[in-house]
Amino acid sequence: MLKMHNAGLINSALSFIFIIMSGFLFTEVPALFLAILISLSCLNLLIGKFYKKLNGKVANILAAACLIALFVVVGVSDTVKLFVSMMLLASTFKLLQARTTKQYQTVCLLVFFNLSTLYLFHQGLLETLLVSSLYIVNFAVLGYLDSPNSFKTANKQSVKTIFFALPIAAFLILFLPRLPAFWQLPGPKLAKTGLSEQVNPFSIAKLAESDELVFRVEEPNNTALQPPYYWRSLIHDEFNGNEWLISDILKSQQFNLTRKPVAPQNYVQYQVIAEPSSANWLYGLGYATSDNTAVFSTYNGLLKRKGNLNKNIKYTVKSGSLNNVVLSDFEKRLYTRLPGNVNPKTRTLSLSLAEKNTNEEAYFNALLRYFNEQAFSYTLTPTAMTGENTIDQFVFDNKRGFCGHYASTAAFMFRVAKIPARVVSGYLGGEQKQGSTLNVYQYDAHAWVEVHFNNAWHVFDATAVVAPERLNGSLSQLSELNESFNENLGFGLKRWSHFKAINWLRNHLEELDYKWTNWVLTFDQQSQQNFLKSLFGNKANWITPLVVLVTLAFVFLGYFFYSKRTPLSNEPLINEIEQLYRWANKRGIETDVTLTPLQNIANIKKQKPHLSSELAKFEQIIIEVRYQQLAFTQKRKTTARVLLNSLKTAK
Amino acid sequence: MNSTIERVIDDLSTVIFGKQQQIKLALACLFSQGHLLIEDLPGMGKTTLSHALAAVLGLSYQRIQFTSDLLPSDILGTNIFDAKEHTFSFHQGPVFSQVVLADEINRAGPKTQSALLEAMEEKQVTVDSVKHALPSPFFVIATQNPVNQSGTYPLPESQLDRFFMRISLGFPDKQAEKNLILGLNNRNYDDLPVRITTEQLSIIQTEITQVTLSNAVVDYILELVAFTRQDKHFVNPLSPRASIALSRAAKAWAYIEGRNFVLPEDVQAVFASVTDHRLGLNKDDSAYALKHVPVSL
Repeated sequence: MLKMHNAGLINSALSFIFIIMSGFLFTEVPALFLAILISLSCLNLLIGKFYKKLNGKVANILAAACLIALFVVVGVSDTVKLFVSMMLLASTFKLLQARTTKQYQTVCLLVFFNLSTLYLFHQGLLETLLVSSLYIVNFAVLGYLDSPNSFKTANKQSVKTIFFALPIAAFLILFLPRLPAFWQLPGPKLAKTGLSEQVNPFSIAKLAESDELVFRVEEPNNTALQPPYYWRSLIHDEFNGNEWLISDILKSQQFNLTRKPVAPQNYVQYQVIAEPSSANWLYGLGYATSDNTAVFSTYNGLLKRKGNLNKNIKYTVKSGSLNNVVLSDFEKRLYTRLPGNVNPKTRTLSLSLAEKNTNEEAYFNALLRYFNEQAFSYTLTPTAMTGENTIDQFVFDNKRGFCGHYASTAAFMFRVAKIPARVVSGYLGGEQKQGSTLNVYQYDAHAWVEVHFNNAWHVFDATAVVAPERLNGSLSQLSELNESFNENLGFGLKRWSHFKAINWLRNHLEELDYKWTNWVLTFDQQSQQNFLKSLFGNKANWITPLVVLVTLAFVFLGYFFYSKRTPLSNEPLINEIEQLYRWANKRGIETDVTLTPLQNIANIKKQKPHLSSELAKFEQIIIEVRYQQLAFTQKRKTTARVLLNSLKTAK
Repeated sequence: MNSTIERVIDDLSTVIFGKQQQIKLALACLFSQGHLLIEDLPGMGKTTLSHALAAVLGLSYQRIQFTSDLLPSDILGTNIFDAKEHTFSFHQGPVFSQVVLADEINRAGPKTQSALLEAMEEKQVTVDSVKHALPSPFFVIATQNPVNQSGTYPLPESQLDRFFMRISLGFPDKQAEKNLILGLNNRNYDDLPVRITTEQLSIIQTEITQVTLSNAVVDYILELVAFTRQDKHFVNPLSPRASIALSRAAKAWAYIEGRNFVLPEDVQAVFASVTDHRLGLNKDDSAYALKHVPVSL
């Protein structure tokens, strides 16, 4: 058996990497399996201390048990998750059994694969930085395995490696053709979304629990967009007595290619960067269309994603108004449909209001007044309502609710009065960031009503009447709501935002994250084309491959010549001595390999007597490091470098 | 340089003119507890040097003149019947001495040579199956005439390997020879003051084993040895015993130079003496190796 050089440190470093990698799966796999993975790594940390490893039988039994646990706990429905977890489990066992240098090298190799799979689940800036530092540690372990350098030196070497890799990575991103994925990942759930296809007032209460970013908006100029921002995502046209749904009719029409969306005449233009989502809807103001090839514009003025949902997407939106819309008879019927005999009390109320206000606009205003005058209040923790006539219970008994309640109720009442109305869900407001960006979070999710009269769709937001502050921007800025809101908020820096420093930190982190998303994650085929066009103009088609080929040729040539040179040595001071020799050779002083370094330096001294003192100092370092075997400390290293530099700059 | 050793060298230099290098090599050999072979033409001062060495080290000293009719018992000693006691008692031969000068060792027959070489290796003598330990320290300084002279029995390679070092003195330079003719050298080497006692010698020997031998130097030794095994130039490649001898000699050389660490220069300095007699007949073998093996940085 090979005697391992400092096995303890290597073992601990690898265990540490495994623990963090397991932690990355926190959002993906059940806690039980995570606990198994982490305890295995901790076990390894523990037995590594005593330098004893699991024997084969015990390991096999344990592995079988863990595999069963994997299938039971993680399940087979999500194959990506299953295989990633399985690989991590297998690698952990490999580490548990590793004894020799060779086996540890295998583990390091496996870690590279495992680290790469983490990007399937996390692509944010912080996560990327963390994964990168794990790469560095792993590289260092790998280097440390076959060289007796100190671990610190190995780490430095590996940081250097990563830094050398950076320009290559940037080059590949910029110039390598962006091919579509060879396979599609089967439905990984990447982000929680605040919206769903059904507006059931009870479901949106969960939204405030999430302060995840949904999308960001970038305006070319600040004044173009005017609040309130109603970011439309979904239209619900069918009421089934309990919840608002998207009818099959609407669905088929939304994707019916014969009904083309009409580009609005007067529009404002801005860019939206949407985070990965499990659903295909996107976000836009008013009647929104987009020319982006990855975005589908429906005739309703909504935007949908095409293709991969797992990626950030950046698209330009042209938003017009919802005026000048003429409804066909069919559409009028569609938007006034109601199931019979539910919520009789509210029906009566609506009809009595309609009798007094025959005009649609008058009814619109009367209903707003009604919500305003009655003792309705806004809450994120409403009383749960069951049964058939939930709207009746809400209007006449509870009177406490959030946007979903008000939107459902209002749309129902409009339809009772035979006025076309629909529930729209999306997001309201957003947090204004430095520059001209607006961040919209899951807690900005909202539902409202669009009512059709005078050949236009009008926004009816009863929530705004009940809680007018809701209109003024992000919900998070409201002092009244803050208390209940923060209670529901998950872990995040947001809740600490009243501390100035933390708010500053949060803003800057978000700014960084924004740049990361904007420049790296959303860099798709189109951005690449634009970039190349801006670089080379119309000649991009043939210059780009030329640049790639020439660069590759240079890299290979450079590598060829570099490898011809004597490879860098791991022994201390060797590189410095070689540099000295090269310097002397350049100055026409021959160095002889069969002479000792000190003899060669004596030779150099003879020819460059004015540099004697520097050379003597260098000799001293050689004697100390090479022959007295004193440590090549930072001090000596610096001295050697300074001496070399002063030699190089000397005449 | 260590002042004691410096004085020793100075003293020896009053006996042998202009041979400081050889004196130092001989000292390095003795400090490494190795046996020394001095090879040269007659009349070059071989015997004088060995005599003087024994004298400054204050060691008991015996000289054996090897001739073709010398028998092993003449060297080792023999059991003699004591008529009074009616027992055999062992009479020690000249080998029972701290420094044995085996003069013109290649004049004796192989049987006698082997008897001495066995004693050198085992530091004990077996006569009639009784073992007799030799004194400590025990050095053999053998001199021999160049092999191509008439009436010699050349030592086989396996026995040459027992000698830690082989040195040859060479002709003195003009000035040194002039001084010799004028009789300026100290001819009474028996009167040389004792500079190193036996205790000091053992301290020196311990200190030499503690001299730092860095990886760089070990690598160089390995490269040199490997070269003699790979290159077709060499008849007899160097054995591991030779590489160990090389490292010990380099340490002793460094110590004599007053350092507690070995430089590649030390290896180069002792390389010819340690390896020439092991490599074969060509005189330039070691120089060839030094010229072709790169020094590890």
